This record gives sequence, C-alpha cells and structure tokens, in this order.
Amino acid sequence: MGRFIARRLVQAVPTLFGIMLITFLITRLSPSDPVQLMVAGNFDITAEDKALLRHNLGLDDPLPVQFAHWLFDAARLNFGNSFYYHRPVVELIAERIPNTLQYTIPSLILALVVGAPLGFLAARRRGRPADHTIRLLSVVLHATPEFFVGLLFVLVLGVQLRWFPIGSMNTVGSDCLACPDRLLHLVGPVVIGALGGIAFYPRLMRTEVLEILGQDYVRTARSKGLREVAVLSVHVLRNALIPVVTIFGGILGIVLSASLIIEQIFNWPGLGRLLFEGAVNKDYPMVQAVVVAGSVLLLLSYILRDIAYALVDPRIKVR
Amino acid sequence: MTQAAVAVEAFARDVTITRRATAGFWSDAAWRVRHDPTTIAALGVLAAMVVLALGADLLADNFFHWSFAKQDLLNSYRKPTLDDPAFWLGGDNIGRSQLVRLLYGARVSLFIGTFGMLVTLGLGLLIGITAGFFRGWWDDVVVWMVSTLRSIPTLYLLLIVGLLFRLDPLSLALFLGVLGWTGICNLARGQTFALRERDFVISARTVGATNARIMLRHILPNVLPLMIVLAAIDVAGIILAESAISYIGFGIQPPVPSWGNMLTNAASFLSKGPHLIYGPGVAITLTVLCLYLIGDGLRDALDPRLRGAK
Repeated sequence: MGRFIARRLVQAVPTLFGIMLITFLITRLSPSDPVQLMVAGNFDITAEDKALLRHNLGLDDPLPVQFAHWLFDAARLNFGNSFYYHRPVVELIAERIPNTLQYTIPSLILALVVGAPLGFLAARRRGRPADHTIRLLSVVLHATPEFFVGLLFVLVLGVQLRWFPIGSMNTVGSDCLACPDRLLHLVGPVVIGALGGIAFYPRLMRTEVLEILGQDYVRTARSKGLREVAVLSVHVLRNALIPVVTIFGGILGIVLSASLIIEQIFNWPGLGRLLFEGAVNKDYPMVQAVVVAGSVLLLLSYILRDIAYALVDPRIKVR
Repeated sequence: MTQAAVAVEAFARDVTITRRATAGFWSDAAWRVRHDPTTIAALGVLAAMVVLALGADLLADNFFHWSFAKQDLLNSYRKPTLDDPAFWLGGDNIGRSQLVRLLYGARVSLFIGTFGMLVTLGLGLLIGITAGFFRGWWDDVVVWMVSTLRSIPTLYLLLIVGLLFRLDPLSLALFLGVLGWTGICNLARGQTFALRERDFVISARTVGATNARIMLRHILPNVLPLMIVLAAIDVAGIILAESAISYIGFGIQPPVPSWGNMLTNAASFLSKGPHLIYGPGVAITLTVLCLYLIGDGLRDALDPRLRGAK
C-alpha cells in the first residue's frame, strides 16, 4: 500500500508541472501587460519607472527564465503580493479555503445521502414509474445550470418569501460558526452545490446495483434462503457503494468549478469569490495563484480517490 | 408443411413485425431513432430552436418589429404581456424586448456549442486515435496533457482566459474546444487500444496498408459511433460552460446578447424585474436537456447492447 501511495504521488509531479506551465503560459502569452495593469490609474508614472518596475518584477527576462523563477518561488509557496490588497497572495488564499470547504463538504455529503438512495430505488423498481421519474429528475437536474437554480433560490426563497438570508456568511454583527444564523446562510450554497451530485449519483448507483443484482453471489445468497433485506444490505448495497463513495474526488471537481458561481450568487467569501474579485481588479498574481490552488485541491482529491479505491478494492494492483 | 417450416415462418413473421430485415449499421440506427419518441421530441424542439435562431433577423423585422438593441427607457421592466409580441416575455432594465434578445442569444449559444464541439471532436479524435495507435512516448505525452487539463477546474481556467483575452463568440468557442477535448480523447484512445489488436487491422497491415490508412479507414469508422453520442453531450457541456462564463461576466460581453449575460443582467435587477431570469434560464435548461436526451437516444440507437444499461 505504501508503494502504491508513493507511486501515485510521484505520478502527480508531472501533472503539477503541467498545471503551472498552462497557468504561466496563458497569463504571459496574453496581450495584457502586467506592468500596465499594476500602474493603471496612476498617471504620473514615467516610462523609466515602468521599465524599472518591469525589471524588478523580472518581466524582461526570457520566458523560460521567468517560468523557472515562478516555479522556484511557488515551491516555497511564494506567489507574490496581491496588486490590490498588497498582501501575500498565499495568506489571502489560506484565509478563504476554509470558507469554501465549509459548504462544499456538506454539499458532497448531501448529494451522496440524497442521490445514492434514489439510484438504489431506481434499480429496484427498474422499468416502473419510479425508475422513469428518477431518471427524468436526474437528466433535468443535470441540464439545469447552477446559476439559474441559484438565482431562483435567491429570488423565490430569499427575496419573495424571505425564508433565507441572501448573501454573505453571517448577518451583520453576528459572527459564530455553528449558530442558527450561520446555518441559515449555509442552506443556499449547500443545496445548490449538491445539485450536480444529486443529478449524477442516481445514474451511477443504478447501473452499479443492476450489475451486482445479476452477479452469481447474489443468486447464491438468495438460493440459500437469505432474506431479501439481508441480500440487499449485505451483498448488494455494500458493493454498490464502493464506486459511489470513491467518486467523491471527482465530484469535488464539479463543486469546485461551481464554487465560482455559487459564491458569486450568494456573495460567499471563499476561493471562487477571491478569484472573481481578483479577475475584476485585474489582480494578476492573485488569479494565477487561485487557479493553481484550486487545481492542487482537485489533484489531491484525485489522489485520495485512487488511494480509497485501492484500499477498498483488492483487485486494483500497483501498476 | 412440416412443423419446422411452420415454426420458421412464424419466427420470420414475428421478426418482420417487430423489426424489419437488417439494412446496414447506420440505417438500423436511424430506424431505432425514428421509433424512439423521446429522442424525436428532443430533436424536434432543438430543430425549432435552430430555425428560430437562424430566422432571428427576419422575425425581429417582420413579426416583433423590435430589434434586439432597441430601447424604450420610459417603459423599462415591462411585465410580460400578450398585447405586443415583442413583450410576450417582458422588457429589461432599459426596455429592450426580452424575447427578441433570447432569439439572438440562441444564435450565440448554438453557434458556440456547435463550433466548439467540432473543435473538441477533431482534436479529441486526432490525438486520441494517434495516441492509442502509436503508443510509446506520444501516448505518455497525451496522458500527461489529459491529466493536466482535467486537474484544472474548467471555470477557473476559462476565467483567466476571459480576463486576459477579449473574447468574441468565435474565439470563445475555440478556447472551449481547445480546453475540452479530453473526454473524447480518452474514449477514442481506449477504443483504439482494443481495435489495433483486432484481426482486420492486422490483415490490413499484412497487405501493406499505411498507418494513416489503417487509422482513417479501419479504426476511425469503428470509433465514430460512440463519438457521435459524445458529440451531442459535448455541445450541451460547451453551451453550459459558455453561459456560465458569460454569467460571471468574462465571456460574451454586452451589448451582444447571450443567455449567460442576460442572466447576469437579470441578477442585477432581481427585485425590480424578477420575470427576467426565467427566459434565459429556461432556454439554457431546455437546450441542454434536449441535447442530453438526444445523446441518450443516439447511444441506445447506435449501441443496442447498452440499451437500458444506463
């Protein structure tokens, strides 16, 4: 097992390099000039000042040298200072990540708790109205963009019915983590974040359960007179849940992408909101660093997923 | 007549009733699609949308008498009304017709979806088939590119692109295509792995077919059916991504209407014009839903073994 984990971590190195390369290339090859962005709004800056700034930032070096510098700094978690906040970017990101995890993790759990039983039900009622209803629900949810449902949530439940607060993490003046006020603020982001998973899990679970129901060991269990409940819970459910639980990591990717939208709609101060603010303020180092941070989170979740797979499924061997 | 002959005739009649004689792969698939009401309905709705989008200019001039940019500042936030066709879905914050703008938004979305899909399909097939066929270092490079692109949250990457480049529909479609080919590539690569060991490929090589010919004439036609299914789902994915990035404000920029930026506009005036979010939202959902249903239907039609499996 230790070897498997070590190997998987080594495999992640070239991917990490690729992430850094793409982020670097897109920002450097674009027509926007970072110096121009930095001094935007200051009219008393001369051409010499700009040249000096460019030199100090290392922007007049050849591209490979710049990339090497950036990689070297990134390895020491130094992504430079934010143009806008004038603070180290890494600090700002570290402050925001817990806020994002605060609703993404409950989202993942909610998706699993709602989606998996629906898939199980659909498989048990295959071809009957319940099955069709669940499949339709799953396709429709899959097709509905988060920003549309999110806006509907804000409009109907927030503005019109006033059941839930709209925007931010707390009502002004209240500042605690687990009080009812925070929980009310969490409902929107958690529900909207879970929709992608709720659309996805039933399909996966249904296919999985149907496949297992056709296996020899299920027939054996039934023919030895085991009660149906025991067959389903011991032999079917436990096996069907393996891919459903381990795909957690993949779902995080969807939720992370959606965080940009969800945090925009609910004005939630997390990673996605930071990225959005960075983009609006043309805060170049910030945007670069948040993209790298998001990608690293995703990469980590993929690695965890593979390890989880290897732990629960002995058929997977170290490749 | 012997008993066996009766049985054969009965069987033959049975076959002709449920299923006509087989007439080739594509024609069989078309037959199955025609007998699948859900897919036909989805195709119909989508076709209607394409026609409306293509005819947006004609409709705006001759039916609605209201161009997509025409404003009516004295009548902003007009509620949906049946009196004036242009305001069946109401008017926005500067009194423009929501319905006419939706039609023009459909143009943007459908164009970006289709064009982006062609780019992902082309790139995915080219890269996937060559990687699966040649293996070796090229395959390693492709695996590396795919795993890298998959590790970056799509919207994050699109946001940088939108921030640093000025995007018109064409360049946005190109970017979406260039960033989105990994799914098709993975499947094409996996299928090619299996196909290159098959007898017909070995026979072709034995009689002296070049690599290019084997890939084009022997592997591609076998990979294509599944890819057509993926292509339909891809158009949907690209439309969703386009509207998401336009909603965030870094995709298609006003005054060009797109469903995404119309929703942004609606979100800014949520309390004054709540009716404004329904049009674009429903339009996106409906289009994507139709494409998913078509994808599902095509999968059943092209690969009947999978019917009911998913």
